[in-house]
Amino acid sequence: MKALFFMKAGKGFSMHQDMKTYDVTVIGAGPAGLGAAKSAYENGAKTLLIEREARLGGILKQCIHDGFGLLIFKEKLTGPEYAQKYIDMIKETSIDISLLTYVTDVKKNQDGFYHITMITQKGIKHILSKTIILATGCRERTAKQIFIHGTRPSGVFTAGTAQYYTNILGHMPTKKCVILGSGDIGMIMARRLTLEGAQVEGVYEVKSELGGLMRNYSQCLVDYNIPLHTNKTVTKVFGEKRLTAVEISSVNDDMSVIEGTQKIVDCDALILSVGLIPENELAEKLEVPIDEFTKGPIADQCNQTLKDGIFICGNAHHVNDLVDYVSKAGITAGKCAANYVNKERKLVKLQKSDLLSYCVPQYIDKLSEQKNVDVYFRSKARIKDVRISVTADNRVIATKKLVEIRPAEIETIQLDLSKAGNDILDIFLSCEKV
Amino acid sequence: MTVKKNKEEITVEGNACNRGKDFAILEMTDPKRSLTSTVKTAFKDCPVLPVRTDYDLPKDLIGKAMEEINKIVVTKKVKMHDIIISDILATGCNIIASCDLSNSLKEGDNNE
Amino acid sequence: MSLIRRLNKKLNKMFNGSVHAQEENGCVKLTGSLDCWEDIVKAGYTAVNKNKFIGVLNDIEYTKQDIPQMRMPSVNDLKYDKIHTDVAVIGAGIIGSAIARELTRYDIKVMLIDKEHDVGMHASSRNDGEIHPGIDLLKGQVKQKYNSRGNVMYDQICKDLDVRFSRPGQYLCFNKKYYKLIFSIARLYWKAMGIPTEYMNADKLRKKIPGISNAINGGIYFPTAGIVSPYELVIAYAENAVDNSAVIALDTAVTGMEISNNKIVSLKTNRGIIYPKVVINAAGVYSDKIASMANDRFFTIHARKGTNAIFDKKIVKNNNFIVSVYGMSSVKTTHSKGGGILTTADGNLLIGPDAFETFDREDFSTEDKNINAILEKHRTTIPGIKKSDVIAYYSGIRAATYEEDFVISKGRRTKNIIHAAGIQSPGLTAAPAIALDIAEMTKDILSEDMEIKENKDFNPVRKAILDIKNMNEDEKNILIEQNPDFGTVICRCEEITLGQIKQAINRSVPCDTVDGVKRRVRAGMGRCQGGFCGPLVLQTIAKEKNIALKEVTKKDNESLILYESRKGV
Repeated sequence: MKALFFMKAGKGFSMHQDMKTYDVTVIGAGPAGLGAAKSAYENGAKTLLIEREARLGGILKQCIHDGFGLLIFKEKLTGPEYAQKYIDMIKETSIDISLLTYVTDVKKNQDGFYHITMITQKGIKHILSKTIILATGCRERTAKQIFIHGTRPSGVFTAGTAQYYTNILGHMPTKKCVILGSGDIGMIMARRLTLEGAQVEGVYEVKSELGGLMRNYSQCLVDYNIPLHTNKTVTKVFGEKRLTAVEISSVNDDMSVIEGTQKIVDCDALILSVGLIPENELAEKLEVPIDEFTKGPIADQCNQTLKDGIFICGNAHHVNDLVDYVSKAGITAGKCAANYVNKERKLVKLQKSDLLSYCVPQYIDKLSEQKNVDVYFRSKARIKDVRISVTADNRVIATKKLVEIRPAEIETIQLDLSKAGNDILDIFLSCEKV
Repeated sequence: MTVKKNKEEITVEGNACNRGKDFAILEMTDPKRSLTSTVKTAFKDCPVLPVRTDYDLPKDLIGKAMEEINKIVVTKKVKMHDIIISDILATGCNIIASCDLSNSLKEGDNNE
Repeated sequence: MSLIRRLNKKLNKMFNGSVHAQEENGCVKLTGSLDCWEDIVKAGYTAVNKNKFIGVLNDIEYTKQDIPQMRMPSVNDLKYDKIHTDVAVIGAGIIGSAIARELTRYDIKVMLIDKEHDVGMHASSRNDGEIHPGIDLLKGQVKQKYNSRGNVMYDQICKDLDVRFSRPGQYLCFNKKYYKLIFSIARLYWKAMGIPTEYMNADKLRKKIPGISNAINGGIYFPTAGIVSPYELVIAYAENAVDNSAVIALDTAVTGMEISNNKIVSLKTNRGIIYPKVVINAAGVYSDKIASMANDRFFTIHARKGTNAIFDKKIVKNNNFIVSVYGMSSVKTTHSKGGGILTTADGNLLIGPDAFETFDREDFSTEDKNINAILEKHRTTIPGIKKSDVIAYYSGIRAATYEEDFVISKGRRTKNIIHAAGIQSPGLTAAPAIALDIAEMTKDILSEDMEIKENKDFNPVRKAILDIKNMNEDEKNILIEQNPDFGTVICRCEEITLGQIKQAINRSVPCDTVDGVKRRVRAGMGRCQGGFCGPLVLQTIAKEKNIALKEVTKKDNESLILYESRKGV
């Protein structure tokens, strides 16, 4: 049993001499934060794990479907089981846990420590931490961000919110719905809602390609006879009070609407699965540089951002498909944060092929002891038969062949930087058709 | 991977590993699926508890299995993997809890 | 030739005999039928003659499609049946709510009635919140009179009602060098109208408005322009009225009136028959219908829709400004100002509105083409604004008369009605001043039959829901110690606590919807647009109101969110 961290608030900002100090503070106790906290602790760090909800587990609590843990635990677990395994492990440690705690401010003080201000049910708390691991997850793209127009009835939900209502509150958000977006959450919810007795009229995808994992397409849509329509989007919503119908339009490959293709579908809900956006308000407050494409902080192979002492993992870094990769990133972040020493980094950019939309880490720290690197990346388009290689100063240090690569499925390649020699000038992630 | 059925004979081609072949044959003869869902509880702070099958069920029994699951009300503070429905629809599979029910219950303070 | 004959000649030329004008009770009445709504509006404008006619009664039939009926509340009961009140204010928008509040200064029975489930659901919550200096208002206009009086009242009103208010001033910029000369003449006019101005050169403007276009050569600064959160103010006015003993009747639509001897005897509503001594018509887009019911119609409302877009706070960063550019095309083609860009009271950037005539007086839907158009237009002021930074957009409907001016007057034929009608921009600015005059007129009429005493218990001060985010740490700690709900953050995008949400649900003006909570404490207005906090707000409402989860609604009695599952949870 570890004690809950509790502090009396001092008077005013300057009088916090009795502030507790940690080596590593992890903000967010979803799979990324749980993994990072455990790893930091195992690497000898005095660790604090902060969570704004009343329970640990983050989004896993509502992901009652299975498919989690195939890599890490070699089992096909549900989200709650995956979370429970970590929760049980954490309970055996002396990691301080602070639930129902919301971080309102982070500032670096003149001693180089991060001063974290939090609001809790017991008042405003202050702590100091040598390093911070941001594991704040992501939010869902909203109806307004994809410019859904029409009226403002009830019955428009993002898939995650619909999932919360169904799996946590045990209530149905719909009796007959249209799902926009063939992302994983949308497909998972298509199956879930069908099992609970709702009718999913169809899944509509604006692109010409499936937005999520193939296994979800097969197990959620094909298995339940739910049609997938590509190159289609919802342009309008009807209903004064509760949603009564949506207008579906066909779109070109550039997502522009084709006039005259409008079709009205009667339904009582529109469920949106149109993308996730890393949640980085704290990173922005700290002026941590953000990658334009991933919308998450730029980081090196230690999961350290470009701001010394701030680490990142999970969906706050970049949107992942598999929770196993999230846990792996948490392990790296925790280990590196625990071993963090404020020293110079020598960062070299990991350049990538134009066929890839992004890769993380974006930088390699040549001086770091972290030589084993998991590189994650996505392609811009679907390509069959590719060879992925990492070359450092024209020497291939890792390579693998893939039968197919597509934007909706994140890929990974492991590097051993010790193969690269002492002073890398150039490192490149290539993707070539074979 | 392509699977062909010719009278009683099933041929599988293009599988990347042997497990693929076994899976393909099973899919044609006796498709099975895991089922995850929630069950109602008697606890106000935890209206539903996530559950799962411990082994895959025959695909065509999924609907009936859901009906059985919907009849349940959990009244005890079950732990992860406790059996909620034993031998569902005489398949030999159990419906088990996916996590501790006490996780959801409101605690006096943040300890535990 | 008589005026009517000349008008008919003109109308015949324009509409081939489909429209006919005649005089009726000092007004000009148009009848006939047309299949183009813009033509009906055009006919209305053509008939306007402020010197000769009191107003336009535009009864031309629209033949292309049916005009939707007024949206009625779903409630049907006798909650307000047989209630006798001294004053019934029809419409709880900014005008009606401000009037009700002023009336509670007297020891009289005031009833504030609205057909919606909450106050300010129409134009009052859907405008940009600017308190106008009165740039394009002309002497003689009713709206000019009330705008200039109302503007100076804002500091005191917002202080009393504990509503956020700032006066960053407005920059009216120009992008043609010769406008500098035109504006120096205009400045004399403004000075005569009591509107202070300052000339700003391009360099100064660039410092004040980050990202302003290089094409801007200079501008005029109007220091008296202000910014308020419009729905925050309506709610505050209504709450103060109810705190001072006004009765608020929501979900209550006036569908008819009993008139006798040129006096309104009773109001027929879906919640019973109400017996008022005096009726205030503050019914917005339906103020002409209410006037008709009262046998006192001398104007017609033609609805004009406008759309605004709101941007992520991060692009504003702590700036506070209002900016518009003179010479933008829509200023000439419609009667609306042309919109602009401003920073809202919550710190978001807002652009808009545009202006389009519509026959559907409650059409609050949005369309992509409007968003694209306002973006394109306002990029000429701040080129860097990106569609990808838009986090929300909404439409509102202006209740415009053909004279494009307010109707603030006692009834002409019916003795106990007072009109505060035809209110469009600058209605928000004018509201405090309108309320004072309407209260005086009400007193006049009431005192014919009763003695009007001051309400000794009148308290002009209303305390807002606690703003935790801006408290200092000691204040927060004291508050949280008394009530840990103020230490539980529910809306993480805006840092709103459970304590604040519970307060919103338990104030003097009833609030039991997710949108109602949103308007009061901003939970759901941030980046995730309620994705995370929505379910938590829903659960809080259910708990506070002791109702089932499936009974909680988004905005009114019918916009249900959840169904029970087959499990029977």
